[in-house]
Amino acid sequence: MKTAPRADALPDGASTRIAAPKLRLEGVCKRFDVSGAHATVAVADFTLDIAGGEFLVIVGPSGCGKTTVLNVLAGLDAPTSGAVTIDGRAIRGPGPDRGVMFQDYALFPWHTVWGNVEFGLRHGPAGAGLDADARRKRVAGYVDLVGLSGSEAKYPHQLSGGMRQRVALARLMANEPDVLLMDEPLAALDAQTRIILQDELLRIWGQDRPAAKRRTVVFITHAIDEAVFLADRVAVMTSHPGRIKAVIDVGLPRPRNDATRALPQFQALTQHIWSLIRDEAYRATVT
Amino acid sequence: MAVFFVVWALIARGTANPILLPSPLAVGEAFAALAGDGELFRHAGISFGRMLISVGIAAAIAIPLGLAMGLSRTLDAIVDPTIEVLRPISGIAWIPLALFIFGIGNALPVFIMTYTAFFPILLGTVAGVHGVDRKLIDAARTMGVPYRAIVTRVVAPAALPSLLVALRLGVAASWTAVVAAELIGAPSGLGYAVEWYRELLATPQVMGFIAMIGILGYLTDRAVRALATRFTPWAVETRQAHS
Amino acid sequence: MSAAAASPATGAAPRPWPWRGVLLPLAILAVWQALGMLGGNVRTPLPTRVVAAARDLIASGDLPWGIAQSLGRVFLGFAVAALIAIPLGLAMGAFRSIERNVDPLIESFRPIAAIAILPLAILWLGTGTAAAVMIVAYAAFFPIVVNTVAGAGRVEPTLLRAAATMGLSRFATLRTVVIPAALPAIGVGLRIGMGVAWTAIIAAELAVGAKAGGGTTGGIGQMMFVFYAYSIELNRIVVCMIAVGLVALVLDRAIRLGMRLLMPWAPRP
Repeated sequence: MKTAPRADALPDGASTRIAAPKLRLEGVCKRFDVSGAHATVAVADFTLDIAGGEFLVIVGPSGCGKTTVLNVLAGLDAPTSGAVTIDGRAIRGPGPDRGVMFQDYALFPWHTVWGNVEFGLRHGPAGAGLDADARRKRVAGYVDLVGLSGSEAKYPHQLSGGMRQRVALARLMANEPDVLLMDEPLAALDAQTRIILQDELLRIWGQDRPAAKRRTVVFITHAIDEAVFLADRVAVMTSHPGRIKAVIDVGLPRPRNDATRALPQFQALTQHIWSLIRDEAYRATVT
Repeated sequence: MAVFFVVWALIARGTANPILLPSPLAVGEAFAALAGDGELFRHAGISFGRMLISVGIAAAIAIPLGLAMGLSRTLDAIVDPTIEVLRPISGIAWIPLALFIFGIGNALPVFIMTYTAFFPILLGTVAGVHGVDRKLIDAARTMGVPYRAIVTRVVAPAALPSLLVALRLGVAASWTAVVAAELIGAPSGLGYAVEWYRELLATPQVMGFIAMIGILGYLTDRAVRALATRFTPWAVETRQAHS
Repeated sequence: MSAAAASPATGAAPRPWPWRGVLLPLAILAVWQALGMLGGNVRTPLPTRVVAAARDLIASGDLPWGIAQSLGRVFLGFAVAALIAIPLGLAMGAFRSIERNVDPLIESFRPIAAIAILPLAILWLGTGTAAAVMIVAYAAFFPIVVNTVAGAGRVEPTLLRAAATMGLSRFATLRTVVIPAALPAIGVGLRIGMGVAWTAIIAAELAVGAKAGGGTTGGIGQMMFVFYAYSIELNRIVVCMIAVGLVALVLDRAIRLGMRLLMPWAPRP
């Protein structure tokens, strides 16, 4: 266990790089041309490697481009320049190998819980080769994993925020993606539900299993305590344009739980990351 | 759009029956001729004038009533059922009875159009008042603002965007009714002109007047929209789906 | 705030009169009846006479038959309009290129009311059912297509993105996401379209009755005109007006019910 957080200095390449990464962003730049007005550079010279099986959290002030990075990883946006690869292959578009969880859940209101979780298997390539029976088993398994057995026939509007997020997670995982990309998935929940779902997220992800058996997660949030609680590493972003400011190893032991939050090391890490962001956060409220 | 005219011209050439389907050129010429000697604008002016009067009367009754109904649950409970019973009876259905009461002339179209415009304006105003964010009113109350001022300074401005949408719908509704009313029961106006020329089998003129109906309807709608933008710039209005 | 006093026994405020709603209509009917009996002649329509006339018209079968005729045309025209407008609207909502080309045409004709087209329709198709159906279809087309385009074009972007991240093709997304998401808006379009269609048929039948001296259309609109111009039966006219209103209500409720059955996932209002 580390006794002090090791903050890596400004991007010198060393700490943002890993041998044989699962995902790699290299010199990624994303520019948006707003019609008529000047172009907005959301993200510039962004370089980061993400290891297989790790839980990486990106933290930064509002508007720093975190969502843009996620969209580029998801293949929903193409970078203006730079390269983004998975397992060495270039990412050209969205696909079930990189599942996405959205902040507003994006559940299909016309499908029940079951229908939503089954959707990707039913209509997308992830379900190819699965007959109806195999599909049913898989869906039931994931509904159970997220703790929603018994609610399969409910419609989204009948579910609480926490339940909806569980459905979104189950839908995502049913496609058994290599990588899970999560865009502030807990932001819309109240503080108490958030804490519960953080625990649940780690459980469902399989935090007790060895890294080789876990899926890679890239998670975005602006809640620093959430970042430290969940992550193996935290990438701190700065805004205008979006860049990596620091990458921090979170040496806290797994499995993480309520006791983890009480550790002094937890506090130290949180304070340290906050000190990196504070000025920008302040400026965002006055400009 | 250009494709439309080309296809039209080809079909007209093919059927070669100027009564059934005149060429776009013939219609254009007829339109120009009617505009030139003023007949087009005379009828258009009459119809438009009727519409203005009708919407004016309807608004003068419906807006105050709507505001009152929106603010008072009691009044709403008393008046609304009557409104809901009358509303499905379209203005058009009143034409025979109104013909008997007013006879053919100016009063008939104006009556029908006022009736038709009345309901959308009333209901839209009520909805506008009901739709005022409760928190805005509460905020004013916690600042000690008296009731009268809350109505004029909070409710009215907040309901204004809906009111203007309702006005637009009322205008559109009465413009639809003008044609029907004039077709059947008026000695002048665009609806009358369309029917007059049909009886003469003068199709180019018929189409010319129909086009004028469309143009005026479009321009009026644009004008009310401009009014809305001018007076309620804070209300973002994406393309509304409405009839 | 309400000045209702709390009942000491239950602590709840007394419920407002449930019959506040009928006060006004009853008052109007009473005044109408009184005025008519005092000042009118044998032709004046009165509530009592209207009821009698209604009995006659229903018993003789004239009213049901007239309604049936008008309804038949409305359903035919409505079906034609929906069968064209819904696919077209979906295509326009999903593909910007189609929308760009077709929209100017639609927006040019939309301000031209269906009834304005009637003389043209009569010119082309005569005074029979064909012209009436054409008018109804024209009238219903616009609300349906406009609302369908809005529904298909305003699908929540995150839903589309979610489908993309699950690897769905463009066509599969259209089928499994856009169409269900657009259903509520399509329902609104159908409801408005039905209302407009019913008004249009009455107007068409009235106009044909007035101008073509009867023609072969029949229907309730024409009945109304006959009662005005030929037999001068004002009470019967009023009966027809009420019938027009009732049918409009029933049609509206029917479509609402249909849409609710089609969308079991929608929360009850």
